[in-house]
Amino acid sequence: MMAGPTLFAGVVGPSERRADIRVTRPDAMDEMVDGRGSLRAHWRSLLGSFSALGEGGLAERARRLRRAFEEEGVTSVLPGAIAHGQSWRCDPVPLPIPAAEFAEIEAGLAQRATLLDALLADIYGPQALLAEGALPPALVYNNPGFLRACRSLHTPTRLQFYAADLVRGPDGTWRVLADRTSGAAGIGFARENRRLLTRVMPEAFRPMQVRQLRPFFDLWQDSLQKLAAPHAAPQEGGRQSSPTVALLTPGTGAPQWFEHMYLSRELSCALVEGGDLTVRNGALFIKSLRGLQQVDVLLRRVDGRMIDPLELDHGSLLGVPGLLDIARMGAVRISNDAGSGAAEAPAFAAFLPALCMRLLDERLLLQSVPTMWLGEQRARSVVRQDPGRWLIRPATDGSTHGLSPSSMLPADRAALLQKIDLRPWEWAATAAIPPSMAPCLDGDGLTPRPIVMRLFLVHDGVRWRALQGGLARVLENTDHVAGRLPQGGLSKDVWVLDEERGDVTGPAPVVAPILPIRRATGDLPSRVADNLFWLGRYVERLEHSARLIRAAIARLARGTGLNAREGVELQCLARCLVEAGCLPPELGAASASTTLLGEALLACVREGGMLYDRFNAVSRLTESVRDRLTGDMYATFTQALRAAQADAAAVGRSLDGLSHAMVSIQRYSTSVAGVAAESMVRGGGWLFLDLGRRVERAHAVTGEIAIALSHAPERIENGLRLVLELCDSAITYRARYLNVLQPAPVLDLVLADQGNPRGLAFQLVAIHGLLDELIDGGGREMLAGAAAGLLAEAEALVENVLDAKDQAIAASELPPKLEGIAGAIAELSDRITRRYFALLPVAQTLGVASESVDTVEEQTSELAGAA
Amino acid sequence: MKYRVSHTTTYTYARPVDLASHMLHLTPRSIPGQRVIWSDLEADPPASRTNAGSDHFGNHVAWMSMDDRHASFAVTVKAEVDVAFPPPPQICDTLPWEDVAKAASAGGPAAWQAAEFVFDSPMIPSEPAAGAYAAPSFPPGRPILAALLELNGRIRKEFAFKAGVTNVQTPVSRVLAQRAGVCQDFTHLMIAALRAHGLPARYVSGYLRTKPPPGTTPRRGADQSHAWVGAWLGPDHGWVDLDPTNDLVVHDEHVVLAWGRDYGDISPVRGVILGGGRHSVSVGVDLEAL
Repeated sequence: MMAGPTLFAGVVGPSERRADIRVTRPDAMDEMVDGRGSLRAHWRSLLGSFSALGEGGLAERARRLRRAFEEEGVTSVLPGAIAHGQSWRCDPVPLPIPAAEFAEIEAGLAQRATLLDALLADIYGPQALLAEGALPPALVYNNPGFLRACRSLHTPTRLQFYAADLVRGPDGTWRVLADRTSGAAGIGFARENRRLLTRVMPEAFRPMQVRQLRPFFDLWQDSLQKLAAPHAAPQEGGRQSSPTVALLTPGTGAPQWFEHMYLSRELSCALVEGGDLTVRNGALFIKSLRGLQQVDVLLRRVDGRMIDPLELDHGSLLGVPGLLDIARMGAVRISNDAGSGAAEAPAFAAFLPALCMRLLDERLLLQSVPTMWLGEQRARSVVRQDPGRWLIRPATDGSTHGLSPSSMLPADRAALLQKIDLRPWEWAATAAIPPSMAPCLDGDGLTPRPIVMRLFLVHDGVRWRALQGGLARVLENTDHVAGRLPQGGLSKDVWVLDEERGDVTGPAPVVAPILPIRRATGDLPSRVADNLFWLGRYVERLEHSARLIRAAIARLARGTGLNAREGVELQCLARCLVEAGCLPPELGAASASTTLLGEALLACVREGGMLYDRFNAVSRLTESVRDRLTGDMYATFTQALRAAQADAAAVGRSLDGLSHAMVSIQRYSTSVAGVAAESMVRGGGWLFLDLGRRVERAHAVTGEIAIALSHAPERIENGLRLVLELCDSAITYRARYLNVLQPAPVLDLVLADQGNPRGLAFQLVAIHGLLDELIDGGGREMLAGAAAGLLAEAEALVENVLDAKDQAIAASELPPKLEGIAGAIAELSDRITRRYFALLPVAQTLGVASESVDTVEEQTSELAGAA
Repeated sequence: MKYRVSHTTTYTYARPVDLASHMLHLTPRSIPGQRVIWSDLEADPPASRTNAGSDHFGNHVAWMSMDDRHASFAVTVKAEVDVAFPPPPQICDTLPWEDVAKAASAGGPAAWQAAEFVFDSPMIPSEPAAGAYAAPSFPPGRPILAALLELNGRIRKEFAFKAGVTNVQTPVSRVLAQRAGVCQDFTHLMIAALRAHGLPARYVSGYLRTKPPPGTTPRRGADQSHAWVGAWLGPDHGWVDLDPTNDLVVHDEHVVLAWGRDYGDISPVRGVILGGGRHSVSVGVDLEAL
């Protein structure tokens, strides 16, 4: 039975559960409770504020926290991501660490970072450690992170960012389980945990002095700017501009995409993919709308092996050909260096104490979890004696999870030992120590669970400084302790607690040069502009399809009661739906049965259906432009989209359900439009989103009016009625003209009235205005001119009808002309795409795969033989 | 022996290339036994930018970038080289092969650089079948050079020189199965076999004189880039180069261009191009004795 102070009696869960865990981890240390069962001092006020929340209060906060994560946080909108559990959750109970204890860890990690940088300097430089025998060749030459192409890259430091995974053993000492030198993930999650926790549980922070995370990001930003070559940051308009820093991400498909986007914002740098970058004239550039924009510092968040297909992994599309060459020349600085991952080799841990003496002339302050390199005979026999006490890891690959012989069947264990004997230099063994346990919310109570803690450091140009916090991760039973960060799980915010209030001094503020004022759209990478344009088009197309489907369902619902006029209208709608890609072409024919039509509409929202596919396309595009949206905007976009997707998934075989789902889609589209109009800065991203939307609507409206007017003159009135319905303009028309339906007024309203947001003229005027806003650089005038020309053409069409002797005949002759306008709009869209998003041709590699060294010599030598 | 080298590689593209970067291992290196008197590298069209340096293995590298549109790319190296590699040591003076393997795995002052060539490399992953093929030549305690010479001869005898049955990426296991290939395949095979025995072995690229010395059999692999094996004899005797395609110990008929773990480390002309469509490549090599 656990006897804790009454203070947290209502918070700590059933003691049996605690006992269970204790049985499986008999000697693990408890973070909250000391060996005598009493609460550790630094947990007291924390638990105090939890009990103040009252019965069930903590669980309620946990629910809110989870919702916050789903809405704007770390979970992804991509289909399937949530279903696969690939998301992070945050436990409301943080992991508090007293400042004094943290300072000791920080000093130890700073020394390790210095040591690993020195180690990298040697293996990429003189290799004295190998020559002296201080390091076995296998750990360098058989190390996948050791990039030979980086031998000739001379940079003063190779690490500017360092992270470590630590566990606390039964003796209460934190030890390093893994060094992360390539560009460790998780800091974005740590920051997000803190942000949402502060919002959901502000009272928990009040009694305590919790150190801030934000200063670290300022330091980091400053450190990145300092990396730029001195000649960078040219004078611009008499003022000095900051060097350009860009974060290189693998893109939306990468598990860490959220974090990359988040970091790019925190560090105020551009977020780019390999395809956004190009090497020209000895420098690195972003392909933006303005043209080429030079990059001085590249924050690398792509595997070092992938960043240059010319010299490294030649199949990689994530990098930039020629990048290493210009880095060698000093034209761009990569942080961390491409080859920095070499220091992550787990087996180095066995050598660090000696290397620390050799390289720094200091004793290693913060030990690793005891680790042996199995290339040594003695180490192998130690493991053989009691394999269960060890965790077996690849010697030079820190991203792979360790193997635990203790949980293996005897046959598997024997096979593993045999594998080790065959190539012993490829393996290392780390002592399997039970990680400490920290209390986690479990229902209404707390249950201790094992944790590993990741801390982050950045070099500020003078010394290493730690993020005053970190990411603690709860280890699941199936979890592997030592590998790379998984794609989801339960995490905890790490709180560094100052004992006394008011002694917190942040770092000196970063002195930034005075920035030139910029308002142009030009800095947007072409790829982002392209994605926003298509997002605009697809959202509009979704809405449009929804409107058509609702109109069709309204008529289908009448079943056999459909009159002749309604039958004709339904047929027109079917043709419009065929145009929109929602129905197969044969259903546009006059003979199509209403039953088939209904079936086909229901199929639209099923897997493989047109709307289903479009939902996914919109999800992907939203994710890919997420870095251009604020958290609130993203939340609005995705919530409404998820709601619409859920409604669509629930349709089944019900036309009513389908109609309801279409309303959801329209609501989604409206909220996107509303949020974009109210929250997005004009110019840049908004411009392309709106341009896409206007182009799509102009095209669709014109095409549909053409279909609706395809009637004989005497029945043109039916078509006019449908036109007003499709353009959502019936009410406006009635207000202006009462119940008199005539061709010219109707066509004026939908084609020439610049004030009707559902009509063609409105779209063309908007397109003209938007194109006018875009940066020029050639061709813009022509595009804007084309939009103006189309507007004049539409106005002339309406004039003609108005002046015609018989308006009905004139109106019935319009469809071919309208189709011409629709075609011209499609062409305009293509021209915009070519002008602004000019996609580069695909890169291909030479000299690696396709040719053979001496395929021709055979003939030569045979000829020689014959002679 | 003095030679004049001329080596031209021409890429012709179906559609213009907008942007290209190339990494070239084309300039012969000066090493004990080989003196490069002069060398000259030229591209057509001329590169927008050229950098020169050396790689991890000490080979000369040139990086060329082409920022302007071009329909073809030709690069030519011309050089004059004086070659006279010393003969290998007496067989009986060389260590038993197991001792060489031990020295390599121990690393340290005498062996750390050679040790790099024991491990798997991207194009030569561990291949037990290659080890098994070589095993009869490596009975316990045999002096390493004896074993190497025998293996070198066996490959020449037991494999057919046949172009077109392999390409750059053909794995050693395929070469073993079909008992045929070209110089690069035999080199990869022999390297895999030596590494399977824990012996350092490296890939050497270069040229073989076009017209053989009078009175000798025509050589295989002349008129083209050639490749052979560097094998380590231990801390005292260092490296010896063996040409399994011709069963030769490299002496004065070969010119060394570069070495690495496998072809991938020292591919003569590597590049990434934007655009270009389909491309064709032609290579002309001449090594003329002066």
